[in-house]
Amino acid sequence: MSEHVKSINSVSKKRHNNAERPIVKLFARILLYAIPGIYAITCIFPIVWLFYTSFRTKTQFSKNVLALPEYLYLENFKYVFTELNVGRYLFNSARITFFVLVLVLLFSFINGYFISRFRFRFRNILYATYMCNLFIPIHAVLVPTYILIVKVGLQDKWYSIILPIVCMELTTATFLVQSYIATVPPQLEEAAAIDGSSFTRTLFTIILPTAKPILVTIGIITFFHCWNEFAYSLIAYQNEKNFTISLALMRFKGEYFTDYPRIMATIFVCIMPALILYSLFSQQIIKGMMAGAIKG
Amino acid sequence: MNERIKPKNSVMALYLVPIYLVYLCVFILPVILAIYFSFFNFRTVSSKTFVGLFNYKKLFTDPLLLSSLKNNLYLVLVCMIGQIGIAFVFANMLYSRLINPKVSNFFRTVIYFPVTLSAVIIGYVWTMIYDYHFGLLNQLLISFGFPDAVKAWLTDERSIMTVVSIPMIWQYVGFHLVIIMAAMTSIDKEVYEMAEIDGASGFRKAVSITFPLIKNTLSVCVLLCVSANMKAFDHILAMTNGGPGYSSSVLALYAYKISFAENNLGYGNTVSVAIMVVMVIIIAGAKGIMSLFKSKE
Repeated sequence: MSEHVKSINSVSKKRHNNAERPIVKLFARILLYAIPGIYAITCIFPIVWLFYTSFRTKTQFSKNVLALPEYLYLENFKYVFTELNVGRYLFNSARITFFVLVLVLLFSFINGYFISRFRFRFRNILYATYMCNLFIPIHAVLVPTYILIVKVGLQDKWYSIILPIVCMELTTATFLVQSYIATVPPQLEEAAAIDGSSFTRTLFTIILPTAKPILVTIGIITFFHCWNEFAYSLIAYQNEKNFTISLALMRFKGEYFTDYPRIMATIFVCIMPALILYSLFSQQIIKGMMAGAIKG
Repeated sequence: MNERIKPKNSVMALYLVPIYLVYLCVFILPVILAIYFSFFNFRTVSSKTFVGLFNYKKLFTDPLLLSSLKNNLYLVLVCMIGQIGIAFVFANMLYSRLINPKVSNFFRTVIYFPVTLSAVIIGYVWTMIYDYHFGLLNQLLISFGFPDAVKAWLTDERSIMTVVSIPMIWQYVGFHLVIIMAAMTSIDKEVYEMAEIDGASGFRKAVSITFPLIKNTLSVCVLLCVSANMKAFDHILAMTNGGPGYSSSVLALYAYKISFAENNLGYGNTVSVAIMVVMVIIIAGAKGIMSLFKSKE
């Protein structure tokens, strides 16, 4: 009996010594909020700074870089859309992203489906060639790709970087579809075949809809990679009218780097699409990008 | 396997071959071309002369290539400690039951946001933060009373790699944080409760429970970190373009500069081949070391 009490006492004593004391707990709690909180602020503050500085003039900025705007000065944004023609670059990026998305989804769905469902000749070779992408970064093939693009006359064609980006994304996407299809029972296709559905019809009207969750994930990953793509556009485009936003920003750096508020307005406009999407679908985006990273 | 629903070979070929051909021409062909072109000297894109192993001789005696590789390895090391280390600490803090789950999720969402931005934008924003006259960093140093520490951050050769690595660490903490937190949710809550009854502190829980139980996830993080930093390119191009001189050059950037700034496409291809070889060795090596750890468990 007394032993029992003793052991309870010792447990409660132990507890008492550690984090359970109210003052220690409060202190721990403050730290737990403060440290990640401060870090989170550093993640968002640069964007906020960009945003409000966009409404200031160059002279106001050089007096105090952190101050809030005194009045709503809109000339920077006007300049961004008229003189710099940022709309054009946003359009270029959006157009490329659209075609890349369609092709990556289609290609990876087909590849992933066949590799997952069937054993066939050359399957291992196919698999191994797609694996290469995981070891060889696109930066290692930039120079030969540039020569190839020039040789086949694709330089400065707006569509010239679509296929390279598709191939860059294809491997991860294929593997994602593959592991997803493995969880879909083949009885689905068997039943459809018995009902007289052709192979192609089954593939696109029955399997494709069931694979929707993974295709959404692939869409998210591909969208952000493609929207932020830089290396291929750097080698493919000389003419300003084809620039994607990343490339255009890079080029502005040299030319306009003295007028900070103007540059900040430009960057802010370029961030907007990603920012809006992220604030609407952050949970899905985080989940999707993580799935892609781990599988890749 | 699934023989009953397997389509005819011709149907399969019709689906798979076109995609495969695109992939071969667009991705595999440049790999082969890089090796082929590395034996040539280019005057323009279309006129080249065979020079045998000349480029390779140059490759093995090129101090700039070596310093670029060193910079890559430095980035790998610093980012591994920075990104995964900070992410692990934050993951343990945000997972604590002392913090409101809603707030914790909000922090996670905000910290992840930089991951979705392009490297050029990150590089750009940090160029402004590091700027001598108008940069946030120098302004903060002055207002907190350290005017002596003010300097032109992006032009000091000795510290440039550290300066350049900070934005890269900053951008990807969220990425590893999310991966680690997802792994932590799969740990049985009872394990933590038991530990708490025994009086384990937060630190003790992190080291003795979380760390060993998510070792596999951490090794995935390490692999991702290694491969991401071996191909670092955009950030550095946007911030310093490899400068001052070649002091912040990395392999991919070096190949780019050789090819386009110095117009030496032949040697640029040779450097590209070197990048491929180094990548394969390092990634295979990292995977090998990881699997050694796994089997020890």
